[in-house]
Amino acid sequence: MKHIGIVLLLFIATLAQAQKGTIRGTVYEKNTGETLVGVSVVLEGTFTGTSTDLDGKFSLEVDPGVYNLQISFISFQPLTINDVVVKAGEVSLLNEIMLSESSVELQDVVVTARALRNTEAALQTIKRSSSAMLDGISAAKMGLIGDATAVEAAKRVTGVSIEGGKYIYVRGLGDRYSKTTLNNVEIPGLDPDRNSLQMDIFPTNLIENMLVSKNFTADMPADFTGGLMNVETRDFPEEKSFNVSFSTTYNPDMHLQDDFLTYEGGKLDFLGMDDGTRALPSGARADRIPVPYSGVGDQQVGDFVQSFNPQLGAKQQRNLVDYSVGLSLGNQVNVGDKGDGRLGYIFSLSYKVDYKHYNEVRYGNYQNVLDANHLGLRYATVQDGAMSEENVLVGLLGGLAYKNQNNKLRLMLMHLQNGENRAARFNIDNSPAAIGQSGYLAESDNLEYNQRGLSNLLLHGQHKPGGGQWDIDWRLSPTFSSSEDPDIRKSAFTIQPNGNRTFSAGAGGNPSRIWRELTELNATARIDVTRSYTFRDQKAELKFGAVHNYKQRDYEILFYDLQFTATQVWPQPDLNTVLLPENIFPNRPNGVYYQSGNNKPNPNEYQSAINNSAFYISNEFYPVDQLKAIVGLRAENFVQTHTGRDQKFANGDAAGRNLDGEKVLNSFDLFPTLNLIYQVSEQQNLRASYARTVARPSFKELSFAQILDPISNTIFNGGLYTYGDWDGQLSESYIQNFDLRWELFFERGQNVSASVFYKQFSDPIELVRIPEQQTSTEYQPRNVGEASLYGIEFEFNQGLDLLSPMLSGLSVNGNLTLVQSKAEMPEAEYNARKAYEKTGQNIARERAMAGQSPWVVNAGLVYAAAEKGWDAGLFYNVKGPTLLIVGAGLFPDIYQSPFHSLNLSLSKKLGEEQRTSLSFKASNLLNQDQESYYEAYGAANETYSYRAPGRSFSVGLSHRF
Amino acid sequence: MKTNWKLLSLLFATTALFTFSACDKDDDDDNNPDPIEETGNVIVTQNITENTTWTSDKVYQLAGRITVVEGVTLTIEPGTIIKGEMGTGANATALLVARGGILEAEGEATAPIIFTTVGDEISPEDIAAGNFGSPNLPNDANGLWGGVIVLGKAPISASNEGADISEVQIEGIPTSDANGLYGGDKSDDYSGKLKYISIRHGGANIGDGNEINGLTLGGVGSATIIENIEIVANQDDGIEWFGGSVSVKNAVVWNTGDDAIDADQSWTGTLDNFVVIAPGDHNFELDGPEGSSDNGAYTLKNGVIVANDTEMKRFSSDLINTDDNTSVTFENLLFTAIEAGQMVNRVSHDVGTVSFNDIVLDVDAENLSTHFPNGEVPEGFSAGNAPANASAINLDALGWTWTAQAGALPTL
Repeated sequence: MKHIGIVLLLFIATLAQAQKGTIRGTVYEKNTGETLVGVSVVLEGTFTGTSTDLDGKFSLEVDPGVYNLQISFISFQPLTINDVVVKAGEVSLLNEIMLSESSVELQDVVVTARALRNTEAALQTIKRSSSAMLDGISAAKMGLIGDATAVEAAKRVTGVSIEGGKYIYVRGLGDRYSKTTLNNVEIPGLDPDRNSLQMDIFPTNLIENMLVSKNFTADMPADFTGGLMNVETRDFPEEKSFNVSFSTTYNPDMHLQDDFLTYEGGKLDFLGMDDGTRALPSGARADRIPVPYSGVGDQQVGDFVQSFNPQLGAKQQRNLVDYSVGLSLGNQVNVGDKGDGRLGYIFSLSYKVDYKHYNEVRYGNYQNVLDANHLGLRYATVQDGAMSEENVLVGLLGGLAYKNQNNKLRLMLMHLQNGENRAARFNIDNSPAAIGQSGYLAESDNLEYNQRGLSNLLLHGQHKPGGGQWDIDWRLSPTFSSSEDPDIRKSAFTIQPNGNRTFSAGAGGNPSRIWRELTELNATARIDVTRSYTFRDQKAELKFGAVHNYKQRDYEILFYDLQFTATQVWPQPDLNTVLLPENIFPNRPNGVYYQSGNNKPNPNEYQSAINNSAFYISNEFYPVDQLKAIVGLRAENFVQTHTGRDQKFANGDAAGRNLDGEKVLNSFDLFPTLNLIYQVSEQQNLRASYARTVARPSFKELSFAQILDPISNTIFNGGLYTYGDWDGQLSESYIQNFDLRWELFFERGQNVSASVFYKQFSDPIELVRIPEQQTSTEYQPRNVGEASLYGIEFEFNQGLDLLSPMLSGLSVNGNLTLVQSKAEMPEAEYNARKAYEKTGQNIARERAMAGQSPWVVNAGLVYAAAEKGWDAGLFYNVKGPTLLIVGAGLFPDIYQSPFHSLNLSLSKKLGEEQRTSLSFKASNLLNQDQESYYEAYGAANETYSYRAPGRSFSVGLSHRF
Repeated sequence: MKTNWKLLSLLFATTALFTFSACDKDDDDDNNPDPIEETGNVIVTQNITENTTWTSDKVYQLAGRITVVEGVTLTIEPGTIIKGEMGTGANATALLVARGGILEAEGEATAPIIFTTVGDEISPEDIAAGNFGSPNLPNDANGLWGGVIVLGKAPISASNEGADISEVQIEGIPTSDANGLYGGDKSDDYSGKLKYISIRHGGANIGDGNEINGLTLGGVGSATIIENIEIVANQDDGIEWFGGSVSVKNAVVWNTGDDAIDADQSWTGTLDNFVVIAPGDHNFELDGPEGSSDNGAYTLKNGVIVANDTEMKRFSSDLINTDDNTSVTFENLLFTAIEAGQMVNRVSHDVGTVSFNDIVLDVDAENLSTHFPNGEVPEGFSAGNAPANASAINLDALGWTWTAQAGALPTL
């Protein structure tokens, strides 16, 4: 709060001073795209001047007027910028000033200020000369287009696809092989089981740039395989900005629906947090909860039951449309005696509410049939119904930064709060003919609430002593996050053949309630040092650094079942009457009471911690002319400890496993990397790279937890416990990466590139269906045999004015990736598949890797006319059918269906100064459904999960004051 | 510059402090044990990992899923009472005899071994006095603990046959407890002797459609001896066989919440001389092999089935339920208290081999055909009110049970 106060004070302070105007700019070296430090900037014919700071930026306060600006730097060609117009209280921005190294003739280069309007040339130059293959989007570009949040801007980056409207994936790789960092620091996402950070909460005007790296260099975390996206927030906004935005989205299938499902929540639901309405009653944590016939008084049992929230059923209530409001502000001011210090600040607040209503949701559980001549799958359980979600997201971001000529210090604070309220209603059909199933019909209501919070602090310093030869960058970043599922309720009436509704344990089950709680602390400290030097008369750079990452997670699941002493018949089946006082023990015969599903000690509780110390050294130099080499080595000492126990131990079997802070992963590894860039010409590169990287199991995967998803009724089992031929020793997977890329650059950011890549995985981790468990649907992450993949990738970004000047402003971009992956089947999997081999089928020893799409297509058609304030884009993205869960034996493989995503966005800036922006977006224009399915030889595909998101249309308005 | 570095180190230190103080907080204080009621019960919290005898002068209280592990014998004296604590899911209490473990539980007609819930006030004095019923619990109170599970190494026909040995996880035990695996290649496997045993008020829930049966027999071999068994008020099935070859003689299943008699995975034994009274779902839920092996048919003979209890409003959902691949031989059964609409679900089988012999339905002769699909009475069925071979059914052998003492046992 204090911090927000300071920011507001500063904002008011800056509003007050307004006689002079400011010229601001950034100076780059034309060849490398890197910023230049210590460049002299002088008003022509005066002694007024300054020099660029460690970011290559300068800021000059002058009286209103028209000036010519002289830019000069030793051994660079001087540049004069004419007609720089300065107005009182305003900032004239010269975003991309390019200096070329001087050749023989020392003639001045003259440009006009108007020609220095925002272009993306700098980023393009960075891309061309960067050590890593990267793509990205800069603040300059984001300023031109109407995208409000990072996630919308990211879809313009080649090779990036968006999932669920908030997560970013690179090259179609699954979450395991994609990673997101914020300001170069790993922070956990709001969803603790994902590598990726939720991107829809960052307003674009607070982002400096977003860069996607597709290959590994030693300064990146070694658990990198496919893509790393880094989002850098702004520290010194170029201009004073105070931005307010509003948007609303309408989905005809989902919004203003009378049958939207919900239930009574708490008073703070609108802030994304529960007020205690869903809290676990205090008595429920006792070693023995009050149960009948246990010597505890009947009244005590009844009181305990009544201490729980009595709501079990969903209700229908008309919902609204999505809306979001955002507010952001930022500025920089000169401080200090000599005025050479600068203070920058940013602040943003965003609030979003969205509703999802799926009228047709289906979860299927299907089995293979043993008969070799029987083609087709047999259902075990099919659930059909409707599901509704209300999602509230509050985001707060504040940053304060100070810099002088050679030093920079910044502090950033962020808090995200997210509450997701979900209600669903299903008809359940369980088949008696299926293996392990008894056959029943039921109708269920599911009530869920997921509450997540994330608070991050970043302290970042950068120092460039020695006239820019040294660059020292350090960052400290602690993050606290939590994810709670208070009171997950699932209640199902079993439908008897005579139509009676009952609670039957042997069929639809008794109503159950679950409380889940996860808290995580993450602390990162890193230091990066870069030393520039000259090698063979060419610029070279030695980079080294250290990173320490500490993560700690506490996790707990508690279960409670409603119980009766005999089957209950409900003549008026209304779930919300079940817990009325008159139905509770001992107020009626066969009354309701609770039984605890929690062992002491609880196998579903664990604490895990990670200590990862990394050191790296990397050298970038030209061993021969036109061939740049980046040779690096990273060392990581990774230790993961776990405190938890398996079911067997919890049940008093000394042969069970009990870990008390024991090391479950402990490795010291070296990750060598080599990148070679052969500059065929100024516009053409050939790149080759090699790196060894690692993919490590997550906290959840390396645990004894058993996590039930009450909606799909599937159970996730931690990888630590031994079962069948699985030894419980889940370990990391090492990857050898080889990339070869040819790229050609044209003017104005146009380019074409083609790549081939090969990756070899040792012991990749995959989610495997547990073959020995047939009564319930259970999965476990396991290391499976060796795997490898190779692929080709083609990328382009091309203006269409090439075809006709009429098409000026139009450009197309896209990428196509084709991947062939193969994983060796473990012996047990092969045998299990073989046992179910159909006549005419030939089971191979290899199959595709789980999570890897065979092909990915991204394409965009973009129209940009910055002068007129128009920006429009049509974006298409699709991934080929992807093996989600590995089957074998009784259980068929599960694939994810391609989702052809076609989205349109349109924005128009209004007014002479383009301060107001109107935007329109249409999503899922092809009205695609989200589906995953079972696939088996000769059989029609059957649904694993299905929902239809429908089309949605949104309009937004934002205004810069 | 100097001040910057000082500031920097200070910040590092603060973050470190922050980090360490934050990770010290995890030790919860919920370790203070609840006082255990002064029942005098022997509380069993650990698995049975060495040969053990439970004696009739004490009451044994199961505090969790107690497993008799491989190579170990648990002997229970006649007249011993075992009570399970209440719990659900992974916390459900049960006595599990793992593969290779042995249960020697030989009760006597005058001193049966009772498995019940802690809520049951039955005492050794009651047993001594010959009162085998629960003094305080109704005879349909279920779900108050788990049940008895015996697992063996006899062949099963399950669908996980790709591996070297056909073994799967037993229903009612969470996957993460590998003591729940059963099945093998030893047809004459020996898991012990179970005689004069009454199991009641159990059937705790594990997950949807996944509960503990009264007596679960998974892959139990033919050398095992099981005789004189009573199951009362189990929330799930009464007796369920998952493959194996063990036979059961003299059994009564009274008031179960789900099925009374359930067989899967190509069981090959015989159930002889039994009574079923008013289960909540099927009287007989009989499935065929699930894997590629078909070990042959099992036999159900000499039984009386009371299909309904109108007073308790408990109706079995049909008379007999078989699948197309079920192989079973029915002999000398009498069904009574039949309601209109209660069916034999299937009378012809393409895959399995089912034979109906001497089965009598206590209905009017003209209504007999209404209890079969398409109204066709297959061979082996007739209408009547007495078993075809009354002398082969010995209800006196069940006279020791709570069912008999409560007057619920049918008479011929």
